[in-house]
Amino acid sequence: MSQTRRKFINTILGIGGLGSLGAILYPLVSYLIPPKITEAKVNSVKAGKADKFKDNSYKIIKFGREPVILIKTVNGNFKALSATCTHLQCIVQYRKDLKEIWCACHNGLYDLNGKNISGPPPRPLKQYDVKIVKDEIIITR
Amino acid sequence: MKKLFFLLSIFLLLLSTVFYAQEKTIQDKNGQNECLNCHKSDENLPDDFKSYDVHITAGLTCADCHGGDPTSDDEDIAMSKKNGFVGVPSRKDIPQFCGRCHSDFKFMKNYRPEVETDQVKQYYTSIHGIQLKKGDKNVAVCTSCHTAHSILPPKDPRSSVYALNVPATCNKCHGDKKLMDKYNLPSDIYKKYVNSVHGIDLLKNKDVTGAPACNDCHGNHGATPPGVSSIVNVCGTCHVNNYNYFKASKMGKDWEGDNDYHGCVTCHNNHDIKKPNDSFVGVGDDALCSDCHDKGDKGYEEAKKIHQELTNLSTLYDSAKVKLIKVKQLGMDDISIGFMLKDAHQAMIKARTTVHTFSSAKVAELTVPGIKIANNAIKKADEEISDYHTRRYGLGAATIAILILIIGLYLKLKGLNKPEA
Ligand code: FES
Repeated sequence: MSQTRRKFINTILGIGGLGSLGAILYPLVSYLIPPKITEAKVNSVKAGKADKFKDNSYKIIKFGREPVILIKTVNGNFKALSATCTHLQCIVQYRKDLKEIWCACHNGLYDLNGKNISGPPPRPLKQYDVKIVKDEIIITR
Repeated sequence: MKKLFFLLSIFLLLLSTVFYAQEKTIQDKNGQNECLNCHKSDENLPDDFKSYDVHITAGLTCADCHGGDPTSDDEDIAMSKKNGFVGVPSRKDIPQFCGRCHSDFKFMKNYRPEVETDQVKQYYTSIHGIQLKKGDKNVAVCTSCHTAHSILPPKDPRSSVYALNVPATCNKCHGDKKLMDKYNLPSDIYKKYVNSVHGIDLLKNKDVTGAPACNDCHGNHGATPPGVSSIVNVCGTCHVNNYNYFKASKMGKDWEGDNDYHGCVTCHNNHDIKKPNDSFVGVGDDALCSDCHDKGDKGYEEAKKIHQELTNLSTLYDSAKVKLIKVKQLGMDDISIGFMLKDAHQAMIKARTTVHTFSSAKVAELTVPGIKIANNAIKKADEEISDYHTRRYGLGAATIAILILIIGLYLKLKGLNKPEA
């Protein structure tokens, strides 16, 4: 094998080898350090520590693609419901003064079980289950 | 003294009669109902008779309304005037007839304590009641809406006054052109209502708790068309934000009192209310503002600006939505963009309600942040799309690299197998 030919083949092998190594390593590294994206299809999410959550307050949680409203009632019970208003899909809030769920868009009101009680919302809000496991709030479908 | 004793005995006698009457009805609950037995076997029951009628299921007998003696199977005794038989009441007497029990709180308490007992009173304040008093026999009485012998509580889906059935019940008379012509009233209200935003929501989407039927705006027993001054209040019972904005606006104040403008219905109509869209506001062909505002006046310019604000946001929102779909189709991260769009959507919905302030500045307070969010969403979507392309190029480069490696290996192996010259 001539010297030039050998050199040529070695160069090809070098380029191909390095490129292939990169092609193998890149997805591997990306898998080990994933970007911060929420999973689209989720069946449960962690929503923080239960004892850090104040009574009579709320938080909007991203449950996959859905916003979920997590409420801690005055009695310290957790409630999780779909946060999408059934009228024109605004995001609802918890009104501390009323102790009800309120939609600012058209003044729709829901009770803490998600039942539409006043204003234009036509249907109740879907309820989610809330479990506390070792002080961790877990919301499940 | 003798006189006093006499009066006292009469009073006691009357009192005992009242108690007896009350007791009697309650006892009848489990008593005989010979009327029903005979009328059934004679196949002579009223046309609208249903055994699920609320009175029958509550144990009342025919005699509780029509009088007579329900324990006797002898027609002459059962239906004798001596036994209080009244038979079929005349139309003009029906409200009082039903009111004998339904206006008696003590009596009603035994069956339905939650039911109000002022329906008859309310009825006589309605146009129906006022006309009936004047001797008009065409107007609705209790049985026109509730039926006479298949009465059910309004929450029962079989009831003629169940929310989903109310429009058709009212339409029995209000859709009768011949009858309505007598009163100079339109007979196409039902047709209009069915295609209105409320009608579609109630009758098509079965939104019994949210969408209004006739009685939600007009009342039921005291049914009247809402007065000019009360239209805003009536609509405002559900559309609270719109009501508050409108009432506080200059236009809302100017329209108060006696004039040609009747609040909400001036722009939205009454029975054929259409789902509003952004073209309602502004100065375009479909715009309602230009019905009153002419080029050059302040309202015209304000309407133009409001429309512009809404269009700016909705156009941007729509393009962001298209990008979101693209991101989804490419299998890239669409979740954060989706959440941004929810915020932009919320700003858009709120801005549309704020139209009732008739102030472009107030509308802009919502559209401007909404536009910013929509722009950010578009930017993020573009990043995701370009990321997708970068990945594709990467895949191409990796394939080429592997190909080169394979060729190199092949050549190397070929060289190794060749015997040295
Ligand atoms: S969007 Fe919630 S009340 Fe209208």
